[in-house]
Amino acid sequence: MQNARHIIGVFADYLGQYFKTRLAYRADFFGDLVSNLIYELINLVFIIVVFQHVPLLKDWTRDEIIFIYGFFLIPYALFSMFFSFWDFNERYIIRGEMDRILTRPLHNLAQVCLESMAPDRIFGVISGLIIMGYAAFKLDLSFHWYDPLVFVVLVIGGALIYAGVYTAIAAISFFSDSRTGIAPMIWNIQQYGRYPVDVYNKVIRFVLTYILPFAFVGVYPAAYFLRKETWYTYAAFTPVMGVIFFGIGLAVWNWGVRKYRGAGS
Amino acid sequence: MIRVSHLQKEFHIHQARAGLAGAFRDLFSREYKTVKAVDDISFTVEEGEMFALIGENGAGKSTTIKMLTGILTPSGGEIVINGYVPYRQREQYVRSIGVVFGQRSQLWWDLSPLESFRLLKNVYKVDDAAGERWLERLIEELDIASFVSQPVRKLSLGQRMRCEVAAALIHKPKLLFLDEPTVGLDVLVKQKIREFLRNLNETEQTTILLTTHDVSDIEALCKRVLVMDKGRLIFDGQLAELKEKWGNGTEVAFQFKKRTAPEELRAALGELPCEILRDNEFSLRVKVVRSQDMLPFVLSVVMGSFEVSDVKIKEASTEDIVRNIYSADGEVVSHG
Repeated sequence: MQNARHIIGVFADYLGQYFKTRLAYRADFFGDLVSNLIYELINLVFIIVVFQHVPLLKDWTRDEIIFIYGFFLIPYALFSMFFSFWDFNERYIIRGEMDRILTRPLHNLAQVCLESMAPDRIFGVISGLIIMGYAAFKLDLSFHWYDPLVFVVLVIGGALIYAGVYTAIAAISFFSDSRTGIAPMIWNIQQYGRYPVDVYNKVIRFVLTYILPFAFVGVYPAAYFLRKETWYTYAAFTPVMGVIFFGIGLAVWNWGVRKYRGAGS
Repeated sequence: MIRVSHLQKEFHIHQARAGLAGAFRDLFSREYKTVKAVDDISFTVEEGEMFALIGENGAGKSTTIKMLTGILTPSGGEIVINGYVPYRQREQYVRSIGVVFGQRSQLWWDLSPLESFRLLKNVYKVDDAAGERWLERLIEELDIASFVSQPVRKLSLGQRMRCEVAAALIHKPKLLFLDEPTVGLDVLVKQKIREFLRNLNETEQTTILLTTHDVSDIEALCKRVLVMDKGRLIFDGQLAELKEKWGNGTEVAFQFKKRTAPEELRAALGELPCEILRDNEFSLRVKVVRSQDMLPFVLSVVMGSFEVSDVKIKEASTEDIVRNIYSADGEVVSHG
């Protein structure tokens, strides 16, 4: 527990430093802010245009799909802000930066995250909120007083699922000596989570629920806010799945580090 | 402080078969070769020592360093440093050491060194007034105050390297590992870093272990040298001993005012075991094996009996010695 507090403290410190530095270069900061927002806005327009041409998917309306997409963007933005060591194999294993990580008294995964963090991704949260707001407005959704709290829990659960799968995959680098990652594969699969699962066939639905549970990042939790009662149980399981999958990812990672330390490079 | 006994590390290396058919067979059964990267090395180091670990590429230096820093788990033997077993109590142990990898950076690219230092202080939980004073001292002694607030990506290699040294020392470790710290640096920066390290060693009794290919680093910093070759420790002793053992001796070149024959010189020097070489009628070279006792004698005799216009002393450089060691096959020389 004390360890976790230490890690969170260091992350908070880093983010503070980062944004302080960014704010110090005022022109730079506003330029980036504007360009990020424009980028997200173009994305948004693009999505709306695309969805205008999509016929209804099963019993989901267009605005519901837009809402799911908007929700999905938020855990995804959080995840990609902290977990952006897509070059893990190249940078830490082949170039040997992992050695340096192991000489510091902080959990090595936390250090890798800390070193490759991309705080700018936080803008994805803003665009997710805008998209969700737009869809919620069109759908005339109503919210309970505790919904923001549920929202936070579901978002964290979703981000943890991504984080767990990503960590486990990155940890493969500890075992294999080849240079090719399987990140591209995951990259493709993660696209599925943003659409309602019942548009897919049974096999894909099963995979997205139990094996690579990306449906828990978008569809299931968003269904709660759309008041689709058939999916409530799944939505409730989002944080549980988050903890389980992050636990698995962490276990694979720790196992990989043990192997790395035994075999050397 | 450091006690290493019978340390060993073996690697299993996958042997790829040749050709496409071989690659196909590799899919099913792999052949492994066992390589002994570190083979039964033992040494002890006292607190406050500065010593160098040298050896060719592939001699086992980095594997040894990785085991000493707790990164790798040894296949055999024992290491105890600061009372810890590095690979077993890694997280506690690494709080007591600092590591500088010359070719890798531990500073955040987008932040200034000062901010990186703050983060590292947070990592090591040294957020008190003493830690602040120590950091101020590091900044002053490494002379980095003028650029410590600029983003790291805007610094030159020499500036960055000095910041790296400061970053490794932020928690005031008792033991500092430097893995090729001066690669690619200019003479002035090298000198600054060396001076700093010497001072650190004197005032704080910090034990410093250096691996390097740069012989001048060793000459400037270390009294004690460990030489590794093919995984074994082939020399452990003082730099001066290393020179005597492996050096080609010392050469003194005399320029005379009058013509002088080698025989005259030999007569003056008597029975002294030395070699006299003739360059031309006016200049002769005297080669002695053990410089410490004989050099003063040779100089005083020759200067006393002849009119000398110029003297040059050519000591075997450590670089030559290292070359000698690397080319000779390992005879084990060990001194307590």
